[in-house]
Amino acid sequence: MYGGGNTFEGIKTDHLKQEDPILLAAFEARIERGEKIEPADWMPDLYRKQLIRMIEQHAHSEIIGALPEGTWITRAPGFKRKLALMAKVQDEVGHAQLLYSAAETLGKSREQMIDDLITGKSKYSNIFNYPTFTWADCCFISWLVDAGAIVNQLANAKGSYGPYCRALERICAEESFHLKYGHHCVIYLAAGTQKQRDMFQEAINRWWAPMMHFFGPADKISAHTEVLMKWKVKMSTNDDTRNQFLDMYVPKIWELGFTIPDSNLKKNTETNRWEYTEPDWEEFKKVINGDGPCNKERLEVRRIAEERGKWVREALLTKAMKYVMPLA
Amino acid sequence: MSNLALKELLYKIADDQLILGHRNSEWTGFGPLLEEDIAFSSMAQDKVGHSQAMYTILHQLGEQVPDTLAFMRPANQFHNCILVELPNGEYDFSLIRHFLFDTSEAIRFEMLSQSSYQPLAELSRKIRGELRYHTLHANTWIKQLGSATEESISRLQKSLNEALPYALGIFEESPFEKKIIEAGIFEGEKELQKRWVKKVEEIIQQTNLSLPDLKITIPVFGGRTGKHSEHLQPLVDEMSEVFRIDPGAEW
Amino acid sequence: MNSLDPRVNRLPEIGNPQNIQDKEQLDQFGTFEVFVQPKEGKPFQHEGALHAPNLEMAYILAKETFTRRFTCTSLYVVDTRNVYVSPITERDQNAYDLVENVSDQSKEKRSFEIYHLLKRGKQHVHVGSVKASTPQEAMSVAKNQLNAGKVFNIWSVASNDIRFTSDEEKELWLTLPEKKFRDAADYKGGEKLSSFLERRIKESNV
Repeated sequence: MYGGGNTFEGIKTDHLKQEDPILLAAFEARIERGEKIEPADWMPDLYRKQLIRMIEQHAHSEIIGALPEGTWITRAPGFKRKLALMAKVQDEVGHAQLLYSAAETLGKSREQMIDDLITGKSKYSNIFNYPTFTWADCCFISWLVDAGAIVNQLANAKGSYGPYCRALERICAEESFHLKYGHHCVIYLAAGTQKQRDMFQEAINRWWAPMMHFFGPADKISAHTEVLMKWKVKMSTNDDTRNQFLDMYVPKIWELGFTIPDSNLKKNTETNRWEYTEPDWEEFKKVINGDGPCNKERLEVRRIAEERGKWVREALLTKAMKYVMPLA
Repeated sequence: MSNLALKELLYKIADDQLILGHRNSEWTGFGPLLEEDIAFSSMAQDKVGHSQAMYTILHQLGEQVPDTLAFMRPANQFHNCILVELPNGEYDFSLIRHFLFDTSEAIRFEMLSQSSYQPLAELSRKIRGELRYHTLHANTWIKQLGSATEESISRLQKSLNEALPYALGIFEESPFEKKIIEAGIFEGEKELQKRWVKKVEEIIQQTNLSLPDLKITIPVFGGRTGKHSEHLQPLVDEMSEVFRIDPGAEW
Repeated sequence: MNSLDPRVNRLPEIGNPQNIQDKEQLDQFGTFEVFVQPKEGKPFQHEGALHAPNLEMAYILAKETFTRRFTCTSLYVVDTRNVYVSPITERDQNAYDLVENVSDQSKEKRSFEIYHLLKRGKQHVHVGSVKASTPQEAMSVAKNQLNAGKVFNIWSVASNDIRFTSDEEKELWLTLPEKKFRDAADYKGGEKLSSFLERRIKESNV
């Protein structure tokens, strides 16, 4: 699951001038023709670096994203939910594996990426820095956070880098089950007892603000990313994806009789865009830089998992082994 | 033929699968390697899925629906062996338990493929491939880690020593043992244990581990008759936490 | 840790959370390429790569990493170092045009599997086997035997380097199509939703 937004701060395009102009022109022409860039192709340094950063953050978001839902696996109510949640969270770990692999084709090893996650060097989607208090919070993530991620992923699947696109195709195919499962859970809560309805309404009240942050800061305060859009690394603006999400899912939430804690939320029928209270971008900055309810815990869990697994990995390493980049 | 004997057999197998599947699912997201995390989770799903199939057979025999059987019984009504309810410990304990239990499960279902009770024979044929993967996975990991570093060998040995008495609890005989065997439903725990020992020895011999002398290992019984360790009730409480908010509700 | 997550609360205290240092030497496993047969009779295709300590482990891990969903009848894995890759092409160039003609009469011939990538962004697909002494020669032989024109990229792999699935092992995927709980189709909330909406309308009309 990937939120985006925070990735593209402060891009310096000056070293583009140092790249071979002929190679750069051929590279850009290829992208414009709609051809995919493959690992063995020449690519400008900036493209490589930004892609590594973006794919790596996506991968970290998946592995961290496994935690707020993972906590409900042992408590899922009934066989259907238990099995589904086990499979869904497993998929998130699987997506992390696919994405690390794609990023590795650009020259950074998986171990280095995981190390950067634990030491705090690399970021992940901010929404996972919040706790899932109840089963309904878990359902909110399974439905709406996944829905948001899918909006991003479908856009990125049309990007220029071959390995990332292949990974996203596979991910999108698996996500269709996640989305349907999430909606199914929420329908049952909505159609259930008053306690169940209240549980989900309270979850919406807690999660709406983080959900609005999910797509990243408003375009007007975001970094300039024109070159990344030209290179089909960034496929859509933050506001566009946010608007798309609202368009698809606010009606579905209202249909179930739930309220959304934003009295300004409505669709402007003239502009065809959704209007809403401007999210608190200072809060977003605070949390993404480490001061959220679960940041410490999320990284601590990853750190402990790596520590516990150390003896296993050491026992498996042999001299005959050599790390090489995946081919595609 | 006493339905009680058959139900007792079904319950203990189903409960083993559910509790172990539940325990193994606790590793999802916390595994030592990404790819292994994924594999372990698949096997946990298989186990939970198998238990659901078994509870479905029980329901056809007049017991309650699977969700009720799994989420509403108190710990002292579960018939799983104590081995599967023990906490996961570190990966060495979980792998050893996976190896010891899945070796017996594969043999048990191989034996059940000849069962005179059709639903069991059918289920056994169906899940053959899944159990094949479970034992392939366990054997590969035990052989790999059981011959690797000093640390991996000593960890596995310690876990093996600790787990073995509990593993013998898998084969605690039922009061209906004779009836089950005579009716051709299952060839019995004694036969299962015999084949299991042979298989376990075969794998252990390929490592630097040693199997403790089974003749002097005292089995830990009790699980089959509802006498559990202090670990099962908290597990059951956690598993049914949301379900019990409103057992009548649909989730 | 004091967490809402009972699993997290059961985690052991290990290592030093206050002093997180970069790993000095990164423990890295080898890399293996994974090929999957989606349906009986269809060719194997490249699905991706994973890290594992050895070939057998790679096989076991690949099974769940790459074939736990959708359809699959077989799978095999090979060490990435054993995949020989042709030069990449530009525009309408055929990769085989860049393959040198090699012929080695001296050494013994063994079997090589050949894979074609027809378009950027797609996956390599198995197209056949050839006999040769080296991976380079294998590509050269494939040029004569398997060249379909306009191939973007070619891989050749010595068959002996591959961990295949045996006939017996094909039952590993027997129940894959039955695991409905992972299919979107198993979560059709339509009826529940409609009956709920009807109820609400009735209640608001009362």
